[in-house]
Amino acid sequence: MAPSASGQVVVLDDGGSTIKVGLAGQSDPARILPNATGKVKGGPQLLIGDDIDAQADISSLSIRRPIEKGYVVNWKAQAQIIDRACRGVLPHSTKGCSMLLTEPLFTLPAIQEARCQAVFETLGCQALLTLPAPLLALTQHCAEVPNLPASRAHCGVVVDAGFSFTHVVPIFDGKVMKSAVRRIDLGGKALTNYLTELVSYRSMDMREEAYLMEHIKNAISFVSTDLKADLVKAKTSSKLKVEYVLPDGLSLARGFVREPVPLAKGETRTEQVLVLNNERFLVPELIFSPSDIGLQQAGLPQMVADSVMATHPDLWPLLFSNVVVCGGLATCPDFQERLLKDLRPLVPDHIKVDVWKPKDPIAAAWQGGSRVGASAQFAHLAMTKADYEEDGIR
Amino acid sequence: MPRATEGGPSDASGRRTGRSRKVSQRMAVVSETDREQVTNARLAALETDGGLQDNFGADSDAEFELQDSDQEAELGDQRNKRKRKANRQASRKTRARAGEVRGHKAFAVLLEEADLDPDDTQPNYLTAAMGPPLDGTPRRWCSVCGFAAPYSCARCRMRYCTRKCYAVHCDTRCLKFTV
Ligand SMILES: [Zn+2]
Ligand SMILES: [Zn+2]
Repeated sequence: MAPSASGQVVVLDDGGSTIKVGLAGQSDPARILPNATGKVKGGPQLLIGDDIDAQADISSLSIRRPIEKGYVVNWKAQAQIIDRACRGVLPHSTKGCSMLLTEPLFTLPAIQEARCQAVFETLGCQALLTLPAPLLALTQHCAEVPNLPASRAHCGVVVDAGFSFTHVVPIFDGKVMKSAVRRIDLGGKALTNYLTELVSYRSMDMREEAYLMEHIKNAISFVSTDLKADLVKAKTSSKLKVEYVLPDGLSLARGFVREPVPLAKGETRTEQVLVLNNERFLVPELIFSPSDIGLQQAGLPQMVADSVMATHPDLWPLLFSNVVVCGGLATCPDFQERLLKDLRPLVPDHIKVDVWKPKDPIAAAWQGGSRVGASAQFAHLAMTKADYEEDGIR
Repeated sequence: MPRATEGGPSDASGRRTGRSRKVSQRMAVVSETDREQVTNARLAALETDGGLQDNFGADSDAEFELQDSDQEAELGDQRNKRKRKANRQASRKTRARAGEVRGHKAFAVLLEEADLDPDDTQPNYLTAAMGPPLDGTPRRWCSVCGFAAPYSCARCRMRYCTRKCYAVHCDTRCLKFTV
């Protein structure tokens, strides 16, 4: 059933950390806001989405996320955030609009039910299409590199390394091969907490400043392409050492990274400085080797190999030739290179392995969604409010 | 069993002090269970909403949850399964209470209610979980400085590289978890 032409299609990539929103057909999301609600200690006011960014005093702020372990557990709060996110993007409200929403694979039926209720009843949308973010990221990648044989077959393996978890998703002919999907319960959030733990023991107690730690992690991390060599380098030289100058809330509003500045004799520092060395690469290293912290799950390279090899062997060459990394962690320097380096030996020699990164690994899923939302496919695939009222969730 | 976790050296707030007390009481049991709990708690702590502090509700303490641990890997597969199940059940209780306070159900509760079969031929949330690593020997990093660590603490099995790091380990993190 085709939604009426009056409804505009709004595209939302509903991530664990941020929610990206914009109209279908646009090249980039119009807004990216924290996917959270918050309160200032002692204050009665509920902060929603971008209110949180507007808070000057982060230290007195408490937040709640509607997404836990990657899944929306609190649809009441999520609807409020979506409503806020859509303001300024849609002319009025979500009422009567059509929505394309990302939803993780294997979402539990109870969550899907709550999602339909929120979208059709609370938000008053008239049509809804939910698709997994990795599928949309591949759509975007295939549009960026259209001449690849795998792209033409809409085929590839998406490594979605996000905030809550990391998924490896093989796709053939535009369809997710569900039985070959692999997940590790580690993402950007766990890495930030891990870095916080490390620096809090090694130099300065940063446990109350997790928001700042997220920023620091993004600013200083890199993926090692030669772990042994980098460990030696970190131990015997200061080549990898950097300093992060912490904001003091007065003269320095934002922190920044700099080369280590040695102190002259008798001189004392006026600024607060966090020195980072092997943490820079040992933190993202967790995704490649979760057993380092006692999580008994294989690392990313083995996940990709395992996932592809769970599909029909005829597909292996096509899938391995089009491994696509997306999500926040994919922006970490040398992520792509390291994955290729570790994946290569796990794949039979005669099969070509290629790892790709979309132009914007964080926005890729939204951008793919924008393409689908603007195509005739949308009306064909979407569930209308009438469908929902007749049949409930399908 | 010494109550080493009582109040860390850097307990910045009452909330943290309260939390570590709870842990130390729970840890006044047998040592193998202790170690496992510490590893689990540490993994669970990595999952908390550090992003910004999530501390205005009653659920901030509900951090004990389902994760596999170092120690489990050393046990047989069957025992593994049973243990994991027990872990899950314990954590569910905590989680469920937290959910009531929040007015919505926690993911662990929803997962429990969905009653999924990890051996289902149809793929589901549980079947998609990546299995253990193939290459046997886990790498060993010093829990204090991060470099290669030849030794492990007799009490908690965390690794350390030198006497100096061992001293720091004992002071700050032996059988403790914090983020
Ligand atoms: Zn050490
Ligand atoms: Zn110890």
